[in-house]
Amino acid sequence: MPTRELFWNIHSHWLIYPLFLASLAILIYGLMQRIKLWRIGQPDQRWDNPGKRIWSTLVELLSHRKIMREKFPGLMHLFIFWGFLVLTIGTAIVALQADFGLQLLFGNFYLVFSLAMDLAGLVTILGILMAAYRRYIQKPDRLDTIPDDGISLLLILVILITGFIAEGLRIAGIGDPWAIWSPVGLVFASIFSGMTDQSIATTFTFFWWTHLVLAFGFIAYIPYSKLFHIISGTVNHLTSSPDAGKAFSLIDLEDEKTETYGVSKLEEFSWRQLLDEDACTRCGRCQDNCPAYLSGKPLSPKEFTQGLKEYLNKVGPDLVAQFKPGTGAVHQEVAATAKDVETSGPNLIGDVIEEETLWSCTTCRSCIEQCPVKVEHVPKIVDMRRNLVLVESSFPQEVQLTFRNMENNYNPWGVGWAKRVEWAEGLDVKTIDEDQNVEYLYWVGCAGSFDERNKKVARALVTILQQAGVSFAILGTEEKCCGDSARRLGNEYLYQSLAQENIETMNGFGVKKIITHCPHCFNTLLNEYPQMGGNYEVIHHTQLIDQLLKEGKIKCSGGQGVNLTYHDSCYLGRYNNVYQAPRNILKSIPGVSLKEMERNQATSFCCGAGGGRMWMEEHTGKRINILRTEQAFATKPEVIATNCPFCLTMLEDGIKSGDESEKVKVLDLAELVYAAMK
Amino acid sequence: MAGIWVFVDQRDGKYKKVVLEMLGEGKKMSEHLGEELAAVVLGKDVEALAAPLGEYGADRVIILEDEKLAGYTTDAYATALTSLIKEYQPTVVFFANAAIGLDLAPLVSQKLDTGMVADVIEIVYGDQIVFKRPIYAGKAFAHVVFNEKARPMIATIRPKMFTALDPQAGKAAHVMKAVTPDFGNLRQVVKDVVRKASGRVELTEADIVVSGGRGLKNAENFKVLEELADLLGAAVGGSRAAIDEGWLEPQFQVGQTGKVVAPSLYIAAGISGAIQHMAGMGSSKYIIAINKDPEAPIFNVADYGIVADLFDVVPIMKEEFRKLLAEG
Repeated sequence: MPTRELFWNIHSHWLIYPLFLASLAILIYGLMQRIKLWRIGQPDQRWDNPGKRIWSTLVELLSHRKIMREKFPGLMHLFIFWGFLVLTIGTAIVALQADFGLQLLFGNFYLVFSLAMDLAGLVTILGILMAAYRRYIQKPDRLDTIPDDGISLLLILVILITGFIAEGLRIAGIGDPWAIWSPVGLVFASIFSGMTDQSIATTFTFFWWTHLVLAFGFIAYIPYSKLFHIISGTVNHLTSSPDAGKAFSLIDLEDEKTETYGVSKLEEFSWRQLLDEDACTRCGRCQDNCPAYLSGKPLSPKEFTQGLKEYLNKVGPDLVAQFKPGTGAVHQEVAATAKDVETSGPNLIGDVIEEETLWSCTTCRSCIEQCPVKVEHVPKIVDMRRNLVLVESSFPQEVQLTFRNMENNYNPWGVGWAKRVEWAEGLDVKTIDEDQNVEYLYWVGCAGSFDERNKKVARALVTILQQAGVSFAILGTEEKCCGDSARRLGNEYLYQSLAQENIETMNGFGVKKIITHCPHCFNTLLNEYPQMGGNYEVIHHTQLIDQLLKEGKIKCSGGQGVNLTYHDSCYLGRYNNVYQAPRNILKSIPGVSLKEMERNQATSFCCGAGGGRMWMEEHTGKRINILRTEQAFATKPEVIATNCPFCLTMLEDGIKSGDESEKVKVLDLAELVYAAMK
Repeated sequence: MAGIWVFVDQRDGKYKKVVLEMLGEGKKMSEHLGEELAAVVLGKDVEALAAPLGEYGADRVIILEDEKLAGYTTDAYATALTSLIKEYQPTVVFFANAAIGLDLAPLVSQKLDTGMVADVIEIVYGDQIVFKRPIYAGKAFAHVVFNEKARPMIATIRPKMFTALDPQAGKAAHVMKAVTPDFGNLRQVVKDVVRKASGRVELTEADIVVSGGRGLKNAENFKVLEELADLLGAAVGGSRAAIDEGWLEPQFQVGQTGKVVAPSLYIAAGISGAIQHMAGMGSSKYIIAINKDPEAPIFNVADYGIVADLFDVVPIMKEEFRKLLAEG
């Protein structure tokens, strides 16, 4: 009957229990200290839909889908994770038998168990070696190394090796008849075959206890090392918000008790935002994909998160001592005492995080997209921008004009609002005022209404809609800027006043379905307007054109051969997962030969205009739009296709600065379809 | 003592045109109230200013000279002016609605515990003196009156709204040297003023701007525009393209992320007129555009458009202007 003696040559194995309890106690104590720090933060509802949350975390954990986006580090972690998981379950089974008397490790089950455990150990060692190779030999730019990294790897490696040594000694010592089912153990056993029975037994006892103490030490070490991500990363994933960064929190501007807006102190972040700092494992994928970092700006999402973590460790304990966390720390009474703690130390904005860092972000959301533990970087940046704009009135000088223009003329360029319909001259476009019985509202947006280049796209789109027989109208001069740039720049007040007026106008006309021209309007109308009572079915013009092509309402017949590359905009692509519809359109245009850029779809590279940066100058490093234009040129295109008025402007600008200006054209998908329809 | 005071906004012995306009309006005020019109000059070595101020309508010129007033600092000027006002009790004080005036007037009003109205474009003299100012970017106007206790009435005056008087040659004002007040502890001291040497008019103040864009092709070619600008006494500006290419320094950029200008005449040569540029010059009174491309958006906002090569047109323009100016 295949089985093994559980405590061969182990005496006083009752010692396991106090040792285990001790390590567990240290783990729990350490965990409690961290939880106290997170609870400094504001309340935040992150436990709704528990079933969905648990399921999606489980799927990600077991499949490692996101982590596997990069093959080598992905496999490395997959091995470590799965190896560890199997070993833990296996050990738990042993405990069930040893402590609860369940007779499990017998027969075929025992054989499979032995094999699984051996392979798991081997695979984990492989993973650890891959990790050590990556960190200490390959040394990729995005990894910084501290002693804890080495200690953690070494600890796990030694635990595994002592485990195999012990197994080898046992197999050699008892002459295990089923040793073939423990292949790795068998190999180790051959090392000890020459030893006497007495020395095997003694050595086994030594390594068995060493292995146990180290393993329990591992448990105790968790909250004090990067191993903590096992807990914090999982909880972070469970409490993540899929909309993080797409729709920012709605500030209640009517609340007269609020003393401040945005975040300028650590305790003004939510608990989930503080947990982010503990979940971050310094993997650096965010940094590797950040357009600001890659173009030389003083913003690295990883350094940002780690900077906040350092600050949390520095001032957190004092804040915890000062008042009872968990109740939403910023009460009027305690806020005063909290101020005393922090004014003597470094300031969050200015010392810990520089202002230029905050303004460098284009809100492209690559960081959030890439992060395996779901750190939400962008909302923190906007929260701090809010404080700078609404409380400190400190923002880049160019932005002042943008805000003023939006306030006075409801568009960032300050063109007279009465001119908002001029783009449609001669096109026979109805305003919704004239006819409310239309299926769609075509939301033109500021660019389509005022920017000469983008007016052409609006006109092309309208012609397509009319030829397809789509029933639509525009708001005309009543349309105001959707407020996207204002909100992302931190001017929540301006955003809300614009949004409120737009929502009232649209609800007044009974608007139900909206076609937007611009992905920023698309994202705001779809994901943010519902916060203030604007609930509409919103589609982007590429989604509609895709639909019309499928329904045969328009046909693309004309078209010569053209080498084309397609630029996925951040707000349509990464934000709202619209990758296929534009590609379907390109497939329907005869002659179009699409060559994808290296960075496309979820890893597409920002044009640099998001986050309100369209309205600011870049003073450091290389221009982001030039970087992206260079990436486009690598595909040797004749045409770069876009779906967003900002991208169109930025890429055209990027081309003008180079020598290719006479040859390469940038065209919106609507323009391409329009040309092919003639 | 009463009186209508005009604070003379001066730098290095040169004052802005708006000072003369304020004197012109001040004259009306002085006639209405029956009080004397005085120009107040703070600074160092500023006596020479007195004569022209008299010719343009001032009955009196009050001069306060001190080492500490050599360069403008908020603290020193506010302290000095407040003490002068407390001593002589004028009824009205005008400041220019520009950098110095907007810095000084609110502080002085606060120190004197009186009211202030900014960006005045018109004054109506009736039973009450009504100050008219634009609000909501000119969509509406506010009519402001001061209550009886608020004295002096402090107002900042928008340039180019009032008219200066014709100068009466030889008309002298009574020059009064005021006593240096106790400055107390000044919090600001000017150590050095670093100025970029540009002989030309400052871009945001210029009445005429000659501006170039990508069509200029290189830095050398800007000489063509500079010659025209010098002839017209205009400032030189550029679109972002010109700055990006390094043909002009960043301080000359006109546009969304550069300077916003509103001259009487804006000549745009080789500028396509993208909306980002328009945001910086759209409120110019007259716009002349020169561009090879008849489709260039700038022609949609230009009052006069010339579709031609700017290298042909600008020299011809220069000649014609030279002839016109020579005729007088």
